[in-house]
Amino acid sequence: MNLLRTYILPRILQWALVIFVGISATFLIPRLSPRNPVDEMIGRMTAFASIDPHAVVSMRESATALFGLDGTLFDQYIRFWGRLLQGDLGVSFGNFPRKVSDIIAAGLPWSVGLLTTTIIISWTIGVFLGALAGYFHNRRWSQFLERFVVVVYPVPYLITALVLFIIFGAWLQIFPIMGGSRGEPALTWKYISTVLYFGFLPALSIVIGAIAFRFIMAKALTTTEIANDYVQYAELAAVPKRKIILFYVARNTMLPQVTDLALAFGAIFEGALITEILFAYPGLGFVLYNAIYNADYNIIMGIALLSIVGVATAMLIIDLLYPVLDPRVRLR
Amino acid sequence: MGTIIETNNLRAYYITKAYGVERTVKAVDDITLRIQEGEVYGIAGESGCGKSTLLRILLGAYQPPLTVVGGEVIYHLEGETMNAADMTEEQQRDMKWRTISYIPQGSMHVLNPVRRIRDTFHDFISAHRDVTKKESFQLTADYLRDLGLPEKVMASYPHQLSGGMRQRVTIALATILWPKLIFADEPTTALDVVVQRGVIQMLKDVQQKEGSTLVLITHDIGVHANLADRIGILYAGKLVEEADTKTILENPRHPYTRYLIESLPSLDSREERLAIPGRPPALDRPPSGCRFHERCPLAQEVCKTIEPALIEIEPKHFTACHVVEEELSRGGEHVYA
Repeated sequence: MNLLRTYILPRILQWALVIFVGISATFLIPRLSPRNPVDEMIGRMTAFASIDPHAVVSMRESATALFGLDGTLFDQYIRFWGRLLQGDLGVSFGNFPRKVSDIIAAGLPWSVGLLTTTIIISWTIGVFLGALAGYFHNRRWSQFLERFVVVVYPVPYLITALVLFIIFGAWLQIFPIMGGSRGEPALTWKYISTVLYFGFLPALSIVIGAIAFRFIMAKALTTTEIANDYVQYAELAAVPKRKIILFYVARNTMLPQVTDLALAFGAIFEGALITEILFAYPGLGFVLYNAIYNADYNIIMGIALLSIVGVATAMLIIDLLYPVLDPRVRLR
Repeated sequence: MGTIIETNNLRAYYITKAYGVERTVKAVDDITLRIQEGEVYGIAGESGCGKSTLLRILLGAYQPPLTVVGGEVIYHLEGETMNAADMTEEQQRDMKWRTISYIPQGSMHVLNPVRRIRDTFHDFISAHRDVTKKESFQLTADYLRDLGLPEKVMASYPHQLSGGMRQRVTIALATILWPKLIFADEPTTALDVVVQRGVIQMLKDVQQKEGSTLVLITHDIGVHANLADRIGILYAGKLVEEADTKTILENPRHPYTRYLIESLPSLDSREERLAIPGRPPALDRPPSGCRFHERCPLAQEVCKTIEPALIEIEPKHFTACHVVEEELSRGGEHVYA
C-alpha cells in the first residue's frame, strides 16, 4: 500500500502530466504554422475548375467548422479535448472524409509488426554478441567482428536500404519491392507467408544497422564492466565463465540496455519513416509521410499523439521496473 | 611444519612498449622467501614498493604487462611440490579457493552489486565443489554464524551492508572452503579503527581455526604487530629485512626499517614523529647500489655502487645493508645507538 502511494502513484501522475502537456503542444504547433488546411483543400478543388465565389465562401465556412478551426484558439482547444476523450481524432484533410482513427488503425499493425520483430531481433543479437565480444576482447574472432561492425555502423541507413533494395529487389528480384502482403487478409499460412515475404527486406534493412548500434553499445558497456573488481575477483576465484558473463557482466549492463529497449518500443508508433517510404510499406511511417506532404494536420496530430502516449508509457513501465532490475534503486 | 610456498630469486617486471619506447618497471627484483606452514607472514613497505605485485605473482594471477623474467615460485601443497611455471591453467584454476585464496584490497567493490550475498557465495562454492544451492546456502549460513556475522546478510545486497561488514563478508567468502594458504592485501585499509579491530580479530580466528597460512600485506605496521609471526620489509622491489615480529619491532637493523618503526606514533611519547626523508624511487630506473642510499643518513660510497646482499645477521634475522654488515665484521657497536 505504501509502495503504491510513494512509488507507483507519483509516477502515474507524472505520466498523465507528460501526456497532457505533449498533447497540448501537438494541438498548438500546427496552428502556429502558416499553412492553412482549409485554403489548401479549396486550392485543390479549384485548381482545375472554377467554382462560384459564393459557393467557395460557404465551402470555406463548412470546412472550417468541420476541421474544428472556427472560434477562438481556446474554444478550439476545449472542443479538441472533448472530441479526443471520445476517441474522435477528426477526419483526414487529405483523404476527406475518411476518419483519422481508421487511417491510423489501418497502418498501425504493419508498423507494430515490422518494428516489434526488428527491435527484438536486433536487441537480442546485438546485446549477446556485444557482451561476448567485450568479454573475449583479446580473441581474434571478436576483433574481426568489431572491425566489421565498425565498418557497417556508419553507413547511412538509406544507403543500406537502397543497396538491399537494388540487389535483392530490382536486380536479383528475389524479394518484392513494394507493398506489405498479397491476397486477402486471413489467418492462413498462405497469407501470413506473404506478409513475412514482403516484410523481409524492410526488416533486414532495419536490423543490420540496429544490430551494429546495439553491438557497439553492448561491447562498450561490457569493456568497462569487466574491469570492475567484482568481475576480476570472480575470475580469480575461478567462477565458471558462463556464470561470470551472465550474472556478473551482462546483468550489470542491463540497466541502460533495457531503458533503450523500452524507448525503442515506445517509438514504434512513429513507424519507420524511410523504410516504409522506400519499400512502399503500408505502415504508419508511410501514412505520416503522406500527411506531412498534404499538410494533413489531423493525421500528423493523431500519430504524434499515439507516439507521445507510447513513449510516455514505455518510460512509465521502465521506471516501475527499475527496482526489479537493480536492487540499488530505492523505492522512494 | 614445512615450507608451504617459496620464491627463489624471483624477478617480475612490468614491460610496456608505447610508440616504440620500451619501459621496464622492476617491481619485484630478486626476492627469495620461505613461508612456513601455519604462520602469519607479514609483508610491509611503502606504497609502490612492489607489495601488491609480489602478491599477484604468488597468487599466480597476473597477465602482461606484468611478466616473470627470472626465478621461480614453488608451492608445497597437499604433499606435492609444484613449480608455478609448470602448472597448466587448469591446475591453477583448480588450486584457487580450495587451497589458495585471496582477500582483496578495498572490498567496497568486490561483491557483485546486483547479486544477493548468498548467491555470490553459491557461485564461489559451486565453482569448486559439487553442491546444490541449498547445500551451499547451509554451508554459508553455518560459516557466517561461526564467524559471528548476522544471518540477515545472506539475503542482503552488498550496498545494504556497511564497509566493515562488507570486508568481513569478503573475508568469509575468501575462506569458506578452508584454504591452506590465504593472501590478504591491505584487509584493514579504509576502515575506521574500531572496525579494523574486528576485522583483525576475524582474520586471526579464521587463521587459527584450521591452522592456515596467512600472508598479510599492509603498510600498517600496527596491523602486522597484531597479527604477524614474521615480517618481511620490502623497499623498491627488494626484500631489505626479514625477522620475527618482535625482532623487527624491537631491534630493527636496516635503516629503512628503523625509520618505519620510529615513525609509528606511541602512547607514551608526545614528540613529533620523523618522516622518512625523500620519496620512494621510481622503479623504471632504480638507484644504483643499495636502492635506499639516496634517502639513507648512513649512506657511504660503497652503498652507491654495490648492491648489498641479504645476510643472516643473527639467527633468523636477515638484512641487506652494507653498514650493518661492516659493523658486524668489526664485531661491535651499533653505528646508530
